[in-house]
Amino acid sequence: MPYHVLRHLSVCIISLFASLVLSSCHEIEQWDNDARGNFEALWTVVDEHYCFFDDKGVDWDEVHERYSAKISDNMSSAELFDVCAAMLAELRDGHTNLLSPFEVSYYRQWWSDYPQNYDARLVEQYYFNFNYRQVNGMTYGILPQNVGYIYYGSFSVTLGEGNLDHVLDYLSSAQGLIIDVRDNGGGDLTNVETLVSRFITQETVVGSIRHKTGPGHDDFSEPYPIHYRPAGGSHVLWGKPVVVLCNRSTYSAANNFVSIMKYLPDVTIVGATTGGGSGMPFSSEIPNGWGVRFSACPMYDAKGICTEQGVEPTEGCAVDLDPAAALQGRDTMLDFAVALLTTAPD
Amino acid sequence: MLAASVSAWGEVTDSSRTEIIRPVMSAYTFEAGGSHLADTYLTPLIYGGYSLALQYERWQAMKFSPDRWVMSLTVRGTWNDADSPARNNSMWYAGLDARWAMLHRWRLPWGITAGAGGSTGIMAGCMYNGRNSNNPASAKVSWTVDAAAYASWKTRLGRLPVTLTYRATLPLTGVFYGVEYGQLYYEYWLGNRENTIHWGHWGNYFAMDNQLTADLHFGATSLRLGYRGFVYSTKVNGITSRMTSNTFIIGISGEWMSLNPRKKLSVDNARIINAL
Repeated sequence: MPYHVLRHLSVCIISLFASLVLSSCHEIEQWDNDARGNFEALWTVVDEHYCFFDDKGVDWDEVHERYSAKISDNMSSAELFDVCAAMLAELRDGHTNLLSPFEVSYYRQWWSDYPQNYDARLVEQYYFNFNYRQVNGMTYGILPQNVGYIYYGSFSVTLGEGNLDHVLDYLSSAQGLIIDVRDNGGGDLTNVETLVSRFITQETVVGSIRHKTGPGHDDFSEPYPIHYRPAGGSHVLWGKPVVVLCNRSTYSAANNFVSIMKYLPDVTIVGATTGGGSGMPFSSEIPNGWGVRFSACPMYDAKGICTEQGVEPTEGCAVDLDPAAALQGRDTMLDFAVALLTTAPD
Repeated sequence: MLAASVSAWGEVTDSSRTEIIRPVMSAYTFEAGGSHLADTYLTPLIYGGYSLALQYERWQAMKFSPDRWVMSLTVRGTWNDADSPARNNSMWYAGLDARWAMLHRWRLPWGITAGAGGSTGIMAGCMYNGRNSNNPASAKVSWTVDAAAYASWKTRLGRLPVTLTYRATLPLTGVFYGVEYGQLYYEYWLGNRENTIHWGHWGNYFAMDNQLTADLHFGATSLRLGYRGFVYSTKVNGITSRMTSNTFIIGISGEWMSLNPRKKLSVDNARIINAL
């Protein structure tokens, strides 16, 4: 083949495909890896994906204006981190973190401004004399008043169906059951389903979830109902009265658990308003490699109420742990729950 | 090769009609090179790293009109691994791609054959960013109908016979999966799959595969060397996803024939129609 023909053919083909490729790749906004670029990237990521701006009345543009003024070209990484972390704290959200190699930011006021209302040793020593059982994240036993008790401290610990069968079977002679999820900071929602499935006898709509459909603050999908089914087969179901004990540190998946149990028959929520955390977190990052995590998909209870601010106890069942009584070995929240289960209704 | 095969079986008769022999040209190749990965569902940043792939490729003249039509089948597995710009996180892509093409062939002067036609194929893979908790993966599944073309030039490098082949595939339309803007896979797992299957067109789905190879015919088996440039870019539900790779190809290729020894064949009247 003559050289000039080959050359022209090659140039034509390369030009055609280069123009096709260049014109058809979709743009991805990029930021400089400097203080300003990282700040803008962080603000934009949150602006386009965070889900509770309206629920919390946060004016994110105003936040940008206020914190942007604190960014300078010669600030250190630590200084930039402090400004960015303070900006994220404006969201008042325990699911929001900025992750750097030297620090992880964390908004603590959602629980630190409230009484803790839980002391594990109090229950273990004065109610069980350390004679309790433990399996797969659950501490359980039967209280002297013939009330079953399960403490489940984290939904991150996978609940085995067999384990639950053994526990509920062991407690089956009790007249009622207390599920203590105080200080349970959440975990995996599938464990919520596993646990709740022991307390329902038919398919139940336990809540709903939405997600962002675009970068606008109001771009949300329609709520998608969440159905739970009762544990099938020969698994043990619980049909007696139940009290769920919670405190302000009952958060995220545990908050979701309480919001579901609240609407089940024969279930009473006792304790303090939970910590919330009903937005499922989404992860992203900024050019300097710091990660960011924030609420992105709001979840609602069975009545369509957003539980980001927490789930309140059943009416008349709000109770705190009395520090003076605790010194005497009494957990006033647990006592309240026991009394509720052992006192015949009027 | 044909003569040797046929004489071995010694089945020869019926010289009244010409037997068409359609050898299969197949190649097994390994690719390595650089790649870029981006998916705004996982991260707003563009990651850079390497790409590895294994590919099987098969060409054959088509039975109904072997002089004018050829078909090809390509199956490839790809692994891309890339680091974030700050190099403190990595993201990978693993995928399988199978594509069948049917092309009209023209024999041009100077030993060139060229073909153009269509292809269809499926791509199934996943980008994974282990740093993310509830949004760690972005599935890539598509079925497309493509424009496909090739040009092949049989020449010599000194005394060594060489076949230079350029091949391009450009999806025109199809359907593909794309997760919703902020939807987590937990919700997808619950059963909400709305707005995740999309009709593809150049506005939201662009991919292009360019492959240039040289088959160095040392004997019955050839050494294949080449270059592959791949671009994949989608934008749907506000999520932009992009993969690019530039890889060096090395492998073996060769032509083989499948003959039925019970079928009587006339050497004199057999006619070989190569794929390229």
